[in-house]
Amino acid sequence: MNAPAPKVLLIEDEKPIRRFVRVAVEEEGCQVIEAETVARGLIEAGSRKPDLLILDLGLPDGNGIDLIRDLRGWSDVPVLILSARSQENDKIDALDAGADDYLTKPFSVGELRARVRALLRRRSRSGEAVTPVVEFGTVTVDLSQRRVSRAGEAVHLTPIEYRLLATLLGHPGKVLTQRNLLREIWGPSYVESSHYLRVYVGHLRQKLEDDPTQPKHFLTETGVGYRFQP
Amino acid sequence: MQSEGKLAMHKAERFAPWQRGLLTVLACTATTLLATPLLGHLDLANIVMLFLLTVLLIAVSLGRGAAILAAVLSVLLFDIFFVPPRFSLAVSNIQYLVTFAVMLATALVVGQLAAGLKQKAHEAQARERNTRALYDVARQLAGTIAVEQVIDIARQYIRMQLAAEATVLLPDTVGALTQAAPADGFRCEPHLARVALDSGQPVRDNEIAGSGYASLYLPLRASMRVRGVLAVACAPASPDLSPEDLALLEALASLVAIAVERLHYVDVAQAAQVDMVSERLRSSILSALSHDLRTPLTALVGLADSLFLIRPTLPPPALETAQAMHEQAARLAGLVGNLLDMARLNAGNVTLGREWQPLEEVIGASIKLLGNALAGHPVRVALPADLPLLEFDAVLLERVFCNLLENAAKYAPAGTDIEITAALGSDSVEIRVGDHGPGFPAGNLDALFDMFARGTGAAGKPGSGLGLAICRAIVEAHGGTIGAENRPAGGASVRFTLPRGVPPVLEEEKA
Repeated sequence: MNAPAPKVLLIEDEKPIRRFVRVAVEEEGCQVIEAETVARGLIEAGSRKPDLLILDLGLPDGNGIDLIRDLRGWSDVPVLILSARSQENDKIDALDAGADDYLTKPFSVGELRARVRALLRRRSRSGEAVTPVVEFGTVTVDLSQRRVSRAGEAVHLTPIEYRLLATLLGHPGKVLTQRNLLREIWGPSYVESSHYLRVYVGHLRQKLEDDPTQPKHFLTETGVGYRFQP
Repeated sequence: MQSEGKLAMHKAERFAPWQRGLLTVLACTATTLLATPLLGHLDLANIVMLFLLTVLLIAVSLGRGAAILAAVLSVLLFDIFFVPPRFSLAVSNIQYLVTFAVMLATALVVGQLAAGLKQKAHEAQARERNTRALYDVARQLAGTIAVEQVIDIARQYIRMQLAAEATVLLPDTVGALTQAAPADGFRCEPHLARVALDSGQPVRDNEIAGSGYASLYLPLRASMRVRGVLAVACAPASPDLSPEDLALLEALASLVAIAVERLHYVDVAQAAQVDMVSERLRSSILSALSHDLRTPLTALVGLADSLFLIRPTLPPPALETAQAMHEQAARLAGLVGNLLDMARLNAGNVTLGREWQPLEEVIGASIKLLGNALAGHPVRVALPADLPLLEFDAVLLERVFCNLLENAAKYAPAGTDIEITAALGSDSVEIRVGDHGPGFPAGNLDALFDMFARGTGAAGKPGSGLGLAICRAIVEAHGGTIGAENRPAGGASVRFTLPRGVPPVLEEEKA
């Protein structure tokens, strides 16, 4: 029962921010390693093998996105990005490079702790066998039999709707960029046709959400992509 | 150097017709006087040769008309002074009639040929001179760096080649034709120039030729469009222009047009360069400012929060203070965000990340983003079922909905609904966000959208007066309009439009 405390590597150049992030993450029972630069961060990531990486995108000695690309060559540790609101493109690039989630500055300690919890939970679960049945709200999806039901009644999905649903379900809690989803489901030539994705997400909401205009499971990350929230 | 251009071209006209006639008569008389002493020594046939030589020389030097006169005159003089009986037109031997006929025919043909060749040579020379002059002009124009230089070169050329005055008229920023480099005493008819510019055809008014007014207006046709007008005023002495002169002027107009267009694109490229540099500077200042302001605010919000995590737990008054600090810092962060947004939008040249998407998605995202701020205000969304995809920047439109919903939640009493509706127009969609609060204060509702404007009832409510101004900037950047009104049943309502456009086709999947 006494599993070792998960290690969180915090790469951030502003000391006051490191200070409160450390307090919040330690409150989740984690051990925190700090780094101030890209170079130091990569060394720590290699030698300490953290279970989660929290990364500020604007570091003094380089771009956080390059760090993620570098990291993804040899590690699949979850990465949580800290970025400013006006940097939608940076967020997308970071997510496409392999980051898992992001927080927009300023953020509250509550939000931070929730994200850290979710990412660590996903990490600990990744070793387990994938369950073929996913449930959220009143919806049950049996991935082994391609069957979807809502409140006990079968729901008909078109092939594309089903593929989109399965892709989203495959990454619970993770932000999937538009580009990513379009490439995965429609193919590389549709990467610029974002309206397809939006229309089909709309279909899924119509069929599976209680209130399609205020969705609870298929969430929009405006300007970035979508997130499935179980 | 080319000052004799036009004059050389008309060298044959150095003498007036009567002078040429007189010269011809004199030359023929001289030949007669010269040949008379030789009468005893030379055959008559050789004397005919002397006359033919005279005709040839006259044809070459005085032209076609003089050659004909000389041919006829020679035959008459030969008959009178050399053929027996001398000093009479009568002929003793009928054979001489053949001599006369052959002599006349030969003189006429030789004269015609000689004069024709001479004229052709003149023309070729003139053409070559013009081509060289045009070539020089083209070379000079290629090196110009200002429109004034172009005009100077054109003017000089026309003065040299045609002894005429000229200027170039270019449309100014509002499209009115003005003399690019005004010359003293040069007058032109603006409406004629306008016709030439609009029609792209040369305009000529012979009535005013030579009066000091420009009588010929040539459009400067370049590859993209007509760039201006070349106005030519002929000298009062020679108000007419030959077809060759006209062709020359048209060629010149083309060269000037190309030069003016080239300079125009140089200007455009320079302006774009300047725009790009200032845009990059502006956005780097804004993002540096944004980073420098946001970092301490993020720390402040987080540090205030982290006071809750201290063990042992702080006494309740300290936690209340921490909560208040968190709220104030978050408010400040919101204000800074608004100010930076406004600065970015006001700086102009906002690049919209427009994509075709359903409206309900951005509404849902805005409601989700506001979260607890909407706690006491259920939002009811009623959109038409056939609402098409709209093209907008989702991040910016989310700001619009967030600002409007936040306002509604701030002013309407807790527990009342906020309603979002949309109506399809012919070329736009009208969206309304309405509440059941006290409504906007009476007065000029449009002023609410001005920067830092705050309603009279707003005292005591937190806010910067930027929210609605940002909404207006965003909606107008999308080509829409925004307005406020009070609902008949009570409550405030803000309506804005977005253009419908033509949504992209969606290939139906085979289900």
